[in-house]
Amino acid sequence: MDMPGYYEFCCRVKIISGHDAMEKIPDTLAQLNAGRPMIVTDKGVVGAGLIDIVVNAISDGVNIRAIADDVPSDSDLRIVNSLARLYREKGCDSLIAIGGGSVMDTAKGINIVVSEEADDLMKFSGANALKRALRPLIAIPTTAGTGSEVTLVAVIKDHEKHLKMAFVSNFLLPDVAVVDSRMTLTLPPAITAATGMDALSHAVEAYTCLSKNPLSDAHALAAIRLISDNLLKVMVNPGDKKGRLCMSSAATLAGIAFGNSMVGMVHTLGHSVGSVCGVPHGACMAILLPYGLEYNMHKNGHLTAELLFPLAGPEVYAGTPNEERAEKVIALIRRMNQDLYEATGGRHARFFKEVLDREGKEMVAKEKLPDIAKTALSDGSIFYNPEDLDYNDFLMVLEVAWEGTPLNPRSLSSIHSPSSIIRTT
Amino acid sequence: MRLLMYLPEHYEFFCPVKINSGNRALEQIPCELDALNARKPLVIAGKDAGERGLVDVIIDAFKDSGIAIGIFDGVPAAPDLKLIKELFNIYRDRGYDAVIAVGGGPVADTAKMLNIAVSGKPEDIEGCAGENLIKRPLRPLIIVPTLAGTGYEVSKYAFFDGRSYESHFLMPHLAVIDPRMTIPEDAVTTAATSLAALSHAVEAYTGSGKNPLADAYAYTAIQLIMEHLVNVIRNQRDRNGSLSLANAHAMAACAFSNVAPGVAHKLGKVMGDVCHLHPGLCMGMLLPHILEKQMSEGGYHIPDLLLPLAGFEAYASTAENLRARKAVDILHDLLKDLSAVSGGVIPRLWKDAQVSEDTLQDIAQKAVGVGASFDMDGCVKIVRQAREGR
Amino acid sequence: MKNFREVAAGKKLLKKDYVAIMMWFMGKAIQAAAAVDRAAKKEFVDMPDNFTFALSVMPNGPHMIVGKDQRGFVRYRGWDPEGKRIDLKMKIKNIEAAMLIFTFQESTALATARDRLIVDGEVAYACAVVRILDIVEVYLLPKIIAKLAVKRYPGWSFRRKYLGRVLVYVRTIFGF
Repeated sequence: MDMPGYYEFCCRVKIISGHDAMEKIPDTLAQLNAGRPMIVTDKGVVGAGLIDIVVNAISDGVNIRAIADDVPSDSDLRIVNSLARLYREKGCDSLIAIGGGSVMDTAKGINIVVSEEADDLMKFSGANALKRALRPLIAIPTTAGTGSEVTLVAVIKDHEKHLKMAFVSNFLLPDVAVVDSRMTLTLPPAITAATGMDALSHAVEAYTCLSKNPLSDAHALAAIRLISDNLLKVMVNPGDKKGRLCMSSAATLAGIAFGNSMVGMVHTLGHSVGSVCGVPHGACMAILLPYGLEYNMHKNGHLTAELLFPLAGPEVYAGTPNEERAEKVIALIRRMNQDLYEATGGRHARFFKEVLDREGKEMVAKEKLPDIAKTALSDGSIFYNPEDLDYNDFLMVLEVAWEGTPLNPRSLSSIHSPSSIIRTT
Repeated sequence: MRLLMYLPEHYEFFCPVKINSGNRALEQIPCELDALNARKPLVIAGKDAGERGLVDVIIDAFKDSGIAIGIFDGVPAAPDLKLIKELFNIYRDRGYDAVIAVGGGPVADTAKMLNIAVSGKPEDIEGCAGENLIKRPLRPLIIVPTLAGTGYEVSKYAFFDGRSYESHFLMPHLAVIDPRMTIPEDAVTTAATSLAALSHAVEAYTGSGKNPLADAYAYTAIQLIMEHLVNVIRNQRDRNGSLSLANAHAMAACAFSNVAPGVAHKLGKVMGDVCHLHPGLCMGMLLPHILEKQMSEGGYHIPDLLLPLAGFEAYASTAENLRARKAVDILHDLLKDLSAVSGGVIPRLWKDAQVSEDTLQDIAQKAVGVGASFDMDGCVKIVRQAREGR
Repeated sequence: MKNFREVAAGKKLLKKDYVAIMMWFMGKAIQAAAAVDRAAKKEFVDMPDNFTFALSVMPNGPHMIVGKDQRGFVRYRGWDPEGKRIDLKMKIKNIEAAMLIFTFQESTALATARDRLIVDGEVAYACAVVRILDIVEVYLLPKIIAKLAVKRYPGWSFRRKYLGRVLVYVRTIFGF
């Protein structure tokens, strides 16, 4: 194993995992000297009956002062501000975020506003703008998942000024992440598939990109093993409690991995497709993941090869010659996408041409690809990708990912200058 | 049929330690202090750190930072509350707002006690002895480990003035692992501390409190030790190897702060006390024999141990029913290799360490008293095996 | 108290001087490349008027400040950030990290991956600045060193690389 010349690793979130993990919340809040939480969530989570389950689990031990369920699917500054006002009005002293990425980001944003008594959230944007601990925040993910319950980033959009504010600080980390199987038992198949592949992409990119380190690798490997053991299982049998808990743990492990090792071009392109065409994040990740591995193969193929072990198990690993392992990993990921496509009756897209909205309309028009490529140039995750990409490279990858034709790593040699191999650590 | 990864029905995990490791890691401390809202650190070290030039390295790392540092480099082998009170006065009177401890053992314990004192008052210390009696986060604490520490300095434990302390709030905010600080002192100490870390990591990985988060730390620690320990004993100038070992110690401590200490730890400590050997050597010598016993009783997680011990290829090419055996053999071989590469200076068996037969009963009795989960006979058997080598 | 002393932070003057010189040269070279190289020019065209960025070493410098004026010309604006409105600050955490970058032991990409830098401002512009720095490094450095500094050594035409290099050097040294 290569010890990097330098690395940093941190995950200060307490993790509580189990089939009745939420029952521990009252004690946990008490240890944090709090007991009057505001629940932050969205209407989807409420509609699925999950808030009732949470309230039943914890209301004996805490005084839930408010339940705010108007978080939109895209985090919004106005909601952050209005919910911060609600928090103060109701005399709350802590936050419980129940939902996916947008709910988590919103809760983190609210926490900044109420803890710093800020009137302008912008002042705290960027890295290291926060100087001290915020109010207690408990995160209960309801997808498996974005991993935002363990990341120190929050992205809040200001729709009026068309700005995206990023907040990066260790103080944004939730105090506790509660991983409870009841929260994902009723997750619909298409979302199970998309968020599962999101978690997989986090783990894979954390393992194969420039900021990798031995600890994040161990988290990533465990996540990949759990996903490969359980994702299809819970598609076929959604009520499999054990399987759901495994997927949630995998998402948390993947979140810790990428929170420390960052991500690469799969996210660079994925963010851009999401931002230009509104495609959900997990769907973009699933489609782009094999392409990212193909594009980077000449630089990190040896790392991709190692992933065959957690993805396919020891027998397949031993039975595959080393030179073929990386390609097999990519083929397996495409196979997973195919299986998920079949299991969701075609709703899980295998390539961008196939991504449809609720009305059945194509979401990624081919004419939009140049715009997406241009947007990708501004995404910071590209720093961590092992290989460089310019506008033409982005466009090329988008075109093949749109059609669904694999990239042939061997044919990329004209783009990749073979003599510029640098150590990835 | 693929063996599924183990996930417990319920688990909890907490590791508040940030780890910074590598080239020029010390120079990042000023930025880290700023992130912890601190500006004026008090550095605490033992006399040996000063003699080995380690304190000078720290002073050098703070150049150009604009930060003045306080240095106390007289921590003795057995510090007492009087020392803590004196350090508390310095901290308070001169306006320090963070503690940086260089090394492990008494230095780290002193730093942890000092941190309790400065986060409240010195009188608080005695009341915090025991399990989970510290109720809120303490002031910033940074630990700079050397290879003379087992990683214990990063763990939630401290031992001071005859009392044990256990609290996650005692864990440092940051562990800075810098190759200039992790140069090995001598073969026996390095082997002892790494074997202690190895046995902590193995017990976390195979014990009943096993969970995927503690496993990530334990797995990495085991891998690093297996890859580097023998090489570092052979060549103590292997910088990358020593850095890797120091990483492993810190990671093993994070794992074992979340999973209760096992038999190897308890028995090893007792043996260390009775035989006047480093407890780490004792733990290392006992470990394979303890695993053998567990294997014969079911030992559910031992086959998986082969993964960090030997890597993907070896694991994949070993038949499922032979993995546990292979894992234990690798641990026996490690002891043999250490003994060979050190010319016998590192003992493999008790008889090499000149431990007499009479002490066996004594050890077993004390261990059961401390709560090792084997009974008297079980303990005696294991210790005898570790003495004779089967 | 015995065994206790307080030590004020020393200085690393030689290293600071070295980095200061490298940054000065780099700042002037960016100005030159923006005039000579089409790709560098385009990166700046996409930035707003009066956009200014700084590369700094924490806590007290050295600094390199480059800005685009109202007419769109790119200028090296010196080493003193005092009194200047800076839109994007790329802060290197300490002088040793700066040495690793300016002695090409860690490329800009690797330094970012190793948490040696903090970006304070819009990330989109930081991406552009890194691309600009890469272009400048290819102009200034022989291939064997530039390959350590950039992620992917580009396949430029002979004319672009060698003629451009001459122009960039001349403009950098003579300051126009």
